[in-house]
Amino acid sequence: MSGRVLVVDDEVEMQRALRTGLSYHDFEVRAVGSGEEAISEAATWRPDVILLDLGLPGMDGFVTLKKLRPATRAAVIVISVMPDEKDKVRALDAGADDYLVKPFGTEELVARIRAVLRRQADVTAGEPVIRSGDLEIDIGRRTVTVQGKLVRLTPTEYELLRYLALHAGKPVTHTTLLRQVWGDYAIGDKYNTRYVVAQIRKKLGDDPANPRYIINEPGVGYRLEG
Amino acid sequence: MRPRLAPYAVAIGGVIAITAVIWLISSKTSVPGLSAIYLLLILWLGARWGRGPALVGSVGAFLSYDFFFVPPVNTFTVRDSANVLELIVLLAVALVTSQLAASLRRSRATAEALARESRALYEVATAALRSAEVTAALSMLCRRATELTSVSRFALVAVDSGQPSALAGGDLSPAELKQAAWSHENGRAIGIAVRDGMVSVVRKHPSDSAPAYLPLASGVAVIGIDEDQVTPDELRMLAAVVGLADLLMDRRRAALESERARGLESSDRLKTAILSSLSHELKSPIASLRTGLTALAAPQAGLKDDQRELLVDLDRQASRLDRMVGDLLALSRLEAGLQLDREAHGFSDLVANATRHLRIELASNRLVVELPDDLPPVNVDEVQAGRVVANLLENAHEWAPPGGVIEVGASPRDGMLEAWVENDGPPIATGDLDRIFDTFWTRRVRGSGLGLAICKRVVEAHGGTIRAENRRRGPRFTFTLPLAHVAAPRAQAL
Repeated sequence: MSGRVLVVDDEVEMQRALRTGLSYHDFEVRAVGSGEEAISEAATWRPDVILLDLGLPGMDGFVTLKKLRPATRAAVIVISVMPDEKDKVRALDAGADDYLVKPFGTEELVARIRAVLRRQADVTAGEPVIRSGDLEIDIGRRTVTVQGKLVRLTPTEYELLRYLALHAGKPVTHTTLLRQVWGDYAIGDKYNTRYVVAQIRKKLGDDPANPRYIINEPGVGYRLEG
Repeated sequence: MRPRLAPYAVAIGGVIAITAVIWLISSKTSVPGLSAIYLLLILWLGARWGRGPALVGSVGAFLSYDFFFVPPVNTFTVRDSANVLELIVLLAVALVTSQLAASLRRSRATAEALARESRALYEVATAALRSAEVTAALSMLCRRATELTSVSRFALVAVDSGQPSALAGGDLSPAELKQAAWSHENGRAIGIAVRDGMVSVVRKHPSDSAPAYLPLASGVAVIGIDEDQVTPDELRMLAAVVGLADLLMDRRRAALESERARGLESSDRLKTAILSSLSHELKSPIASLRTGLTALAAPQAGLKDDQRELLVDLDRQASRLDRMVGDLLALSRLEAGLQLDREAHGFSDLVANATRHLRIELASNRLVVELPDDLPPVNVDEVQAGRVVANLLENAHEWAPPGGVIEVGASPRDGMLEAWVENDGPPIATGDLDRIFDTFWTRRVRGSGLGLAICKRVVEAHGGTIRAENRRRGPRFTFTLPLAHVAAPRAQAL
């Protein structure tokens, strides 16, 4: 068994498709159709991953997300037909670990679920060295290397990269990055993060038109490839 | 203006009466300096009617006193040098008195006029500013203006988006409205001039009864003014009324604009809500379809290979349907004219987002991206502009031969960023170059005809242009996006 997945979606067809698809990949699946059920199921059944649809009847997805967060350690992947970037940012800022826009294929979903589970395991293990391809970030020694060669970063650049590394694979919003790296006063000044990311990419020898390490999440923020 | 005769008659009568009184007194006793009685009369005349009557009184007093009381009596001749002096003093004092009294009268009159004027203005201004209805205040202002003797008519015309309409002060003939619109459009006054807060009437043909037109910040004042009756006081008052009208018309326009903005905002919200709900209804079934089809296509489902192939084909169809619905919704969003979320972005970021999105398709092409390092950022909606690059790359992928080259480039030009996507596929027929961006027009059998139409809408919504041309190697799509003007990034201190 590779983990417990709780599906929260009001469409019965979607519930059945997900139950069938995920079971072929050895996940144990339960499905509910409302936010209230999701909260009680999360507390009693203790899933590892929750797939949360934002367009729920009654208690809506955002409210459910906020109520779920203190009740469970499960990773939450938001699934929604709304491709609006503002909703993605809101969901991530409310504590979601990732989002996936509907419609999606089962393969893609399984890849995302495995990624959040891997991240959870890494956090639990407290791994001091984070790798993304041939990029290594040693949190303990505050060093960054590419193919074993040391890269010199300014303190701001290092802080930004470190924060992305600590959440490798997860999209981090501009707002979160600004707050974590510059402090509360810089919120809203997104050009700061864009400029610093461009500098880091240059130093890592990354191609901005085809980056390997720091990936853009359009309208949302950045993600370090896990 | 004809001089009024009554004050002069009073002056002469007064002199005669005082002469009689002095004659009566001096016939009984001998009192020196009785001529001073005349001064009282002159003082009163000056204060009451000003310099003219006072001067007539002065001269009359001088002559009467000389004739009746200065020896030799009943002649105008004077013998005694002391009497000459007395007469001269009388005349001088009379003249000075009349002058003083007249100037006193003038300044009192001015002060009173000013007080009247400011009281009137104060009343108009407070009433106007207090009234919630600007139109009511403007009507009051028009009534007030016509209370001036020289102003027969005072009307205000609003010119909203080029259309003139009578706002206050009565109706206007179509010809007058047209004239008012012209005056507003050209900022030219007709028959009247305002300079440094002073109004002056421009001389017209005497038989011309047409009103004067004065353009205001957001409208026109149409004023029927009688040139012959105009006084400086009335012109001052008129200037003040015009100033107030200007202010109120501006307030009216501002109120209209904010109302219109609120209307637009709520219609934007409605459009967004409708599109969101539509997108939910259309996409949810496709989502279930794709999840179900891909679930069954997994090897673990235990289906035979040909069955799995069928499912994969069906999933591809579902994806195509999803893309078309997405394109249609994107196009409706653009047609609805929703706001763009513009910020400074590196063009390379837009390319990166697009190539990542299309990594599976583009794997069969050779993608060459050549962007200068110092390319300035563009001021765009990241998602929308990214869609332009993605659609053009997808189009290039469709037309490039297998393993063909797709080139992306950009450079700043004339304050814009000029970017292009080129492929080495077959050229576009010359007649199709113009139609290629039309909605639903497509060269492909299975194309939706939406991808390039979306590109055109997005680019134009950003104030740019897009065009297609055949280069030696193959078709090239060139588009422009506005450059961002960004301040230097914050100092990188921690």
